[in-house]
Amino acid sequence: MTVLDDRVDDQRDLGTPAVQSETIVTVHIDGVPVQVPEGTSVMRAAALSGTAVPKLCATDNLAAFGSCRLCLVEIDGKPGTPASCTTPCSEGMSVHTQTPRLDKLRKGVMELYISDHPLDCLTCPANGDCELQDMAGVVGLRDVRYGMEGENHLDAPKDESNPYFTFDESKCIACSRCVRACSEVQGTFALTIAGRGFGSKVSASDGVPFLDSECVSCGACVQACPTATLQEKTVIDLGVPTRKVKTTCAYCGVGCSFVAELRGDELVRMVPDKTGGANEGHSCVKGRFAWGYAGHEDRVTSPMIRDSIDDDWKVVDWDEAIAFAAGKLTAIQEQYGVDSIGGITSSRCTNEEVYVVQKMVRAAFGTNNVDTCARVCHSPTGYGLKQTFGTSAGTQDFKSVEKADVIMVIGANPTDAHPVFASRMKRRLREGAELIVVDPRTIDLVRSTHIEASHHLQLRPGTNVAIVNAMGHVVATEGWIDRDFVQERCDLASFQAWEEFIRLPENSPEALEEATGVPADQVRAAARAYATSPNAAIYYGLGVTEHSQGSTMVMAMANLAMATGNIGREGVGVNPLRGQNNVQGSCDMGSFPHEFSGYRHVSDDTVREQFEALWGTEMRADPGMRIPNMLDAATVGEFKGIYIQGEDIAQSDPNTEHVAAALRAMDCVIVQDLFINETAKFAHVFLPGTSFLEKDGTFTNAERRINRVRPVMPSRTGMAEWEVTCALAKAMGYEMDYATSSQIMDEIAAVTPTFSGVSFDLLDKVGSVQWPCNEQAPLGTPVMHVDRFVRGEGQFITTPYVPTDERSTRKFPLLLTTGRILSQYNVGAQTRRTNNVVWHAEDVLDIHEADAQTRGIADGDWVEVSSRVGVTRLRARISDDIPAGVVYTTFHHPVSGTNVITTDNSDWATNCPEYKVTAVEVRPSAQVPA
Amino acid sequence: MSHDLDYEQAHLVKMANQIASNVPNRDDIAGQVANHLRTFWTPVMRADIIEIARSHPQELAAQVHDALDRLQTVEA
Repeated sequence: MTVLDDRVDDQRDLGTPAVQSETIVTVHIDGVPVQVPEGTSVMRAAALSGTAVPKLCATDNLAAFGSCRLCLVEIDGKPGTPASCTTPCSEGMSVHTQTPRLDKLRKGVMELYISDHPLDCLTCPANGDCELQDMAGVVGLRDVRYGMEGENHLDAPKDESNPYFTFDESKCIACSRCVRACSEVQGTFALTIAGRGFGSKVSASDGVPFLDSECVSCGACVQACPTATLQEKTVIDLGVPTRKVKTTCAYCGVGCSFVAELRGDELVRMVPDKTGGANEGHSCVKGRFAWGYAGHEDRVTSPMIRDSIDDDWKVVDWDEAIAFAAGKLTAIQEQYGVDSIGGITSSRCTNEEVYVVQKMVRAAFGTNNVDTCARVCHSPTGYGLKQTFGTSAGTQDFKSVEKADVIMVIGANPTDAHPVFASRMKRRLREGAELIVVDPRTIDLVRSTHIEASHHLQLRPGTNVAIVNAMGHVVATEGWIDRDFVQERCDLASFQAWEEFIRLPENSPEALEEATGVPADQVRAAARAYATSPNAAIYYGLGVTEHSQGSTMVMAMANLAMATGNIGREGVGVNPLRGQNNVQGSCDMGSFPHEFSGYRHVSDDTVREQFEALWGTEMRADPGMRIPNMLDAATVGEFKGIYIQGEDIAQSDPNTEHVAAALRAMDCVIVQDLFINETAKFAHVFLPGTSFLEKDGTFTNAERRINRVRPVMPSRTGMAEWEVTCALAKAMGYEMDYATSSQIMDEIAAVTPTFSGVSFDLLDKVGSVQWPCNEQAPLGTPVMHVDRFVRGEGQFITTPYVPTDERSTRKFPLLLTTGRILSQYNVGAQTRRTNNVVWHAEDVLDIHEADAQTRGIADGDWVEVSSRVGVTRLRARISDDIPAGVVYTTFHHPVSGTNVITTDNSDWATNCPEYKVTAVEVRPSAQVPA
Repeated sequence: MSHDLDYEQAHLVKMANQIASNVPNRDDIAGQVANHLRTFWTPVMRADIIEIARSHPQELAAQVHDALDRLQTVEA
C-alpha cells in the first residue's frame, strides 16, 4: 500500500492565488524577509514564509474577498489594520501578523461568528477538519461575550436533497467561499447570497433545494466550505479520514488528479488534487463523488467459466480459469489457425495493463489481431494528426486555453463530457475570449451564464468537412493565410496543392450552404474570427471523429491551424478531447493492429527486430484485424476466440445485432471486467477486473499527461489485472514475468522513444509528465511542434468533402446523433451503479417540437425509433436544443438499445463507427418497454 | 450490391470503395488505395478483396481494381 501523507502536504492553503509578475519584491513578515512576485497578497507571502495568518473567507483557488476580517495585519507606515488577503506586497513592506491589537480584533470577530454557530463540535462531522474550529483555537477564543441566546440561524433547516452532500444552513458563516467557488472555479453560478445583513444566506438558484437547482454537483462548494455547512455524506456517515493516497480519476480523458482520503481501507472521499496538472484542484460530479461502483454488490470478484453461453456460470479459482481459457484458445488455434483469435485492450485500464495485453496477443497468441476501444472513438485523431503533424496526439496542455483569444469547439460538449476542462475554458471565455461553436445541437456553451458564443454554426450532421473546408476557403481567398509560418514550417508542395484545392469555388461557403445548412455569411464571419485572432485554438470531440469522414475532418482542422499559424505555442493548437481516461495511453501502448507502441508500423524491420530481441519471439510484419474485421470474420466462422479487456462491445459498438451474432459464433469469448456486462452474456470465461482504486500504474490523458494511478485499497480479486494477463500468456507457453507494474513501465520506456524518460520514480518525484519525455525533454513536453513539427515539416492534405451514404430518406427522414451527459459515462457500467442515476435514470430521445407535432408525439411519450438496421424504444423529450430534422439520444443504459439502431457505416480510413449520423424514423409507440 | 456476397465480403467491398472515394490526392487514387490496403488490411483481407474483384468485378470501383492490380504487382 502506498501511503503518501508526506506528498500531500503540498495541498496546504496559501490563502490567495499565485500572481504572475516579472518584478520580485522583498517584504518582511514579522521580521522575516520574503521575496515574492509583485502583487502577491500579504497573506500569501506570509504563508510562504511559514506564517499562517488567521483566515476564514480566503482560500487560494479563489480571488481575495476581504470579508471575514480575521486576517487583519499591521503594516509599518500604513494606518489601520488592513486585510492581508486583499493587500498586495510592495517593495520594503514590513508586516506584523501578531500584535495585541490584532489579537483583540480577531478575538472580537470570532466571538461574533461563534455567537451564531452551533456549539456541537464534538458531534459535528467536521470535528477535527473545520477551519472555524481551528481559527477559534488560533485566536485563543475562550468565551463569547454576546452569549448564544440572541437572534440566530441555529434552527435553519438542513437540505439533504443532493445524494452526495448536505447543506446545513445552521452552520453557515456566510463567508461566500461556496458562492465564489461555484462562480470562479466551476463557472455555473448556481449559488448566491440571498438577503441582506443578518438575513444573508447561501441560496441555490432561486432558493430551491440543491437537487432541483442549477448545481452540477462538482463539489467545488463543498471543498471550499470552511465548516460543516456543505459536507460530504460519506464523511457524515464514516467519519473524518485518517490517511491519504494520491491517484488519478478513471472517468473522462481530462484525467484529474485526486487525493483519496480513507479510514483504514475504507474510502471516505475523493478530493481534487491542487497540484494536479490537468485539474489544478477542481473536479466534476463523476470523479468527486461517483466512485461507489467499485464496491457495488454487482461486482464480480471471482473467476467464472462455462462451456456454453447457455450454461450457468461456474465459479472457479484463478488457476482453473486460466487453464480453461488457455486450453480453449490453444485448441482454437490448432483447429482454425493462428489468426483465428485476438484481443481488445481497454482505454479504462492502465498503460501497463494495456501494454501486457497487446504483448500477449502479439507474442503469446502470435498474431497482430489486437485492437482497442479507441477504434470506436478517436482512431481518426490518431490517423489525421499523424498524417499532418507527425504524431497521433493533441498539441497542447489544458492550461494553454488560458492564452487563447478565439476558442473553436467542434463536435464536443465539454460542459457535459469534459467538465473540469470546460470550467477552465469558461473562465477564459469570461475573461473575453471569443467562442465559435460548430455543432448541430445548441450545447450549453452556446449560451450560459456570462458566456455566449459569438458564432454558432449549426450544421447538418455529417457535414463537418464541408464547414471546415468553407472556412479554409475564406482564409485562403480573403488573404488570411500566415505565409511566414507556412514558408518556415510547412511542406510547400503540399501547401500549394491544398491552397489550389481550397480556393476552388466548390469549397466556398456559398457553394456548401445547401449541404451544411449554415448561411454563408455566418461561416465567413467565424472563419475571419478564427484567422485574425492572435491565438486561436481548436477543441474537438467525437462529433468530429465518429463520421464517415472523421479522419478527413481531423486533417481539415490541422490544415486550417497550419494555414493560419495557429500551431506551436501556447493558446493555439488542435486538441482532441478524449472520451475515456486512457484513450491516449491505450493508443500509445501499441494497441492498434498495425502499430507497436509509439505508433511505429509493424512492417518496420528495425522496430520489429527490437521487439523480437526483447520479447524473444518472432513478430508478424503484416497488420492484424481491427475490431469490425474480427467481428465480420467471426460471423463467417473464421475468427473463433477473443480476449476483451474492460470493454462492453455488445452495448458500445454499433449495430448490436451484428455484434451479438459475431460473439455468439465464437468458441471462446473471454471478458475481463468488473461486472457481468452485456458482452459477458456471450462469454465463456469471466476474469474479474480491478477498479481504478485497486490499480497500480499510469493513465495518459488527452494532453499526453502521464499520471500515476496508485492503489488506494488492495485488489478485491486477489490479483492485479496485468498478473492475470501474464498468467494466461504463460499458460499458452509464453513467459511474461514482471514483479511489479513499475517494471512494465520500465519495459515500455525501453522500447518506446517518446516514453524513454518515464518511470514511476520520476512520476513520484515530479507528479506527472507529458510525452515526449526523453533525453531531449526530460520533464516532458507541454506544447508540441514548437520549433518544428514532429514529422519535420507540417503536411497539408487536401480534404474533399464526400457526403455520407447515410442520408435522410422518405422512409427514415430524421438524422439521429448521439452523445453523453454530465452525470453518466459511456455505457454507464460505472455511473449507473452510483447515485448519479438520480440525474439520469433513463436515456431519452430529444426531438424538436415541429418534428414531434407532425408525428403526434407529446413530451414524455414512448416512441419507437427505427433505422434500416433495427428498432428501439425511448421516451421522447421535446427540446429546442436540436434543430428540426435531427433527433438526439445518449447510450448510457443498455435497455435503451441505442446501438441497436446505429449502422455499420464507418470512417473510411480507420473504421471508427459513424455514430453521429443515423437516418431514422420516430413514431409514437404502442408498446412500453418492461 | 450483389446478394451473393456474405456479410464480411460485402463489408470489404464497401470499405474498399469508400477508401477510393475519400483518399485525399485525387490524381493518384489507385496508388493511395493500394498503400492504404497494404498499411491497414491483413493479408487475408487483401486476398479476399482480390478474389471478390475476380468473382464480382462490378462491385468495385475502377480505381479499386487498379489499386488491387498494383498491390498484386508489388507483392508478386
